Amino acid sequence: MPEALAQALINGVIAGTILAVPALGFTAIFAVLNYPNFAIGALATVGAYAGWVGNTALGLPMVAALALAFSATAVAGLVVQWAAVKPLESAGALMMAIASLAAGLVLENALRFGFGNDLRGYDLPLLRDWRFGEFRVGPQQVQNFALALAAMGMLWAFLRYSRTGRAMRAVADNRDLALLRGVDPARVAAVTVAVGAGLAGMGGMLVGLDTSVDPLVGTRLVLSIFAAAVLGGLGSIPGAVAGAIAIGVAEEVAVLAFNPAYRLVVGFVVILAVLTLRPAGLFGARAS
Amino acid sequence: MTLFTRRATLAAGSALLAAPHAVRAQGAPIRLGTLTPLTGAGGPYGPVMANCVRAVITEVNAAGGVLGRQIQLVSEDDQTNPEAGLRSARKLIDVDRVAAIMGTWASSVTTAVAPLCWESRTFLATVSGADSITALPHNGWLVRTQPNTTLQGRKFGEYAIELGARRAFFMAPQTPFTQSQFTNMKTAMERAGGTAELLVYDASKPSLRTEVDQALRFRPDIIVMGGYTPDTTVLLRDIFRAGYTGRKLAFAYSVNQQMLSALPNDVTEGIHTLAPSPAENSGGFARVKRIVGNDNPDPYTCQVYDHVNLVLMAMAAGRDGTGQAIRDSIRSVSQGGGEKVDNALDGLRAIAAGRKVDYDGASGPCDFTDAGDISDCQFRYEQVRAGRQTLLRIA
Repeated sequence: MPEALAQALINGVIAGTILAVPALGFTAIFAVLNYPNFAIGALATVGAYAGWVGNTALGLPMVAALALAFSATAVAGLVVQWAAVKPLESAGALMMAIASLAAGLVLENALRFGFGNDLRGYDLPLLRDWRFGEFRVGPQQVQNFALALAAMGMLWAFLRYSRTGRAMRAVADNRDLALLRGVDPARVAAVTVAVGAGLAGMGGMLVGLDTSVDPLVGTRLVLSIFAAAVLGGLGSIPGAVAGAIAIGVAEEVAVLAFNPAYRLVVGFVVILAVLTLRPAGLFGARAS
Repeated sequence: MTLFTRRATLAAGSALLAAPHAVRAQGAPIRLGTLTPLTGAGGPYGPVMANCVRAVITEVNAAGGVLGRQIQLVSEDDQTNPEAGLRSARKLIDVDRVAAIMGTWASSVTTAVAPLCWESRTFLATVSGADSITALPHNGWLVRTQPNTTLQGRKFGEYAIELGARRAFFMAPQTPFTQSQFTNMKTAMERAGGTAELLVYDASKPSLRTEVDQALRFRPDIIVMGGYTPDTTVLLRDIFRAGYTGRKLAFAYSVNQQMLSALPNDVTEGIHTLAPSPAENSGGFARVKRIVGNDNPDPYTCQVYDHVNLVLMAMAAGRDGTGQAIRDSIRSVSQGGGEKVDNALDGLRAIAAGRKVDYDGASGPCDFTDAGDISDCQFRYEQVRAGRQTLLRIA
């Protein structure tokens, strides 16, 4: 049993790290634009398909396909923002969230219209896991883990060292003060949406690499992404990473304790507990 | 002239309103519905099923329809989801006022939709297999062309034993048939000295590594997969990664050509599959092949072809285009002797000539018990070899 628990922890950390990439996108958009973008699942699906096209039709290697997934989803995210969400900005966060949900459904069905319901697999060999005594870890998992860490590292560097990244943090911290300092809110919003959606697309592709691509690949992640962001504190970048890893581990360990069919309960229980005990989440003081 | 026209119009309108309802309805089209999964896990099957029904109806309409009335088809998507299926069924029943709904695929959808059908006197023909469906108090408003899961579970257990397995681990998502499928498989295995264990997983999970670890701790000599295509794809990948090299057995509807194209051959090589077999030498099967333009039509398209033919003939035999007529007359055209027919055109001609018909379709003889189950079915045993299904036998 201790071996089973340790193996579940390894699986959970890896699953959580991949989940952290779209969770970062979700929380970044919330931090700057103050609404939960529920199109994140469909955007992850866009990324999964874009990466798949890049890899199988254009013959791109994995890193280039991931860059394509990021770029295509950034564009899709901007289209969703300008066409569906922005016109409802004055109606408040709830309306913007509903608009994003609707836009997500449109995106998902547009993909279904274009690609059909068939499962798509990347042009990659499927390798057996490496075994270390009682434990095992997959080469693809390790690669995805490294790619997820690299994406998070680049985001951290972008937010810390680039002028635009600092402007995004400034708007997230204190919008009015940032405006007084001459930050262009429209530009910051556009960059945030592009980066947030792009991260969702990368996350969708990473999940697609580990499984397969179909029109629901991203939608299946939405609850876990949302639970991760709520647990970490909506709007908190480190919180999204910690929340995603915690959710990943909780979902895997729960399989050992409960009937695996009730995995979804984990996400709901976490959301309920956080909203009851610490509405700001683990790291999200400003969200309260 | 204007006054006369106005009077004439008023008179004609009044006469029309005063006429009996039946006179106005005469010649109005009869509406039928398909409720198949155009999206979701059943998405590979539903569109072909709906197109097959449309082709049969087009052919019948071109030959004059049923009882002198044209047939109008309304096709809705159940999204392989009971909630969406229920919404679509309400639309078919309340808005379109269809006489019958055909082709519900997932057992969860059929279970949700069935009460709505019998309460509204709408006939339901389904391809779902869960035992619980025909055990519902449907009072004759439902038939299915898919063998129930008692039979399918027993076949799985017997086949696992035949393959030399003694310890089976059954992995499936939560569905209305999971428990009965497992119980009947386990009973069949235990009768032959084997044993079986069940794990129900969450079908929306992107990775099932921990679940596969649970399975391997049982030390199975066969893993039986009871899910749909998307989750079985995830499961197969994780079984392969875990290094399991034992036998694998699954429903043929989940291990379909689309999955085989999406996964490397190493992952799928050797999987055994079981499926209710269409009647491959029948005239109905040849017609379905022609309609779908494919030499190997799936069992569900064959079954829904039978649904529409039976429904059309039952309305003709019952002399009415209603669900009630279909319910009361379907067994008079599906069984009990008479002129053998394999399509509605021949059947409608025979019925119009006053002859009794006995339909044998693309999926089988289509003889129904009082509960609505089929009384006879063959199974198709296949194995995946080099990325393709290879037929081992039909029995």
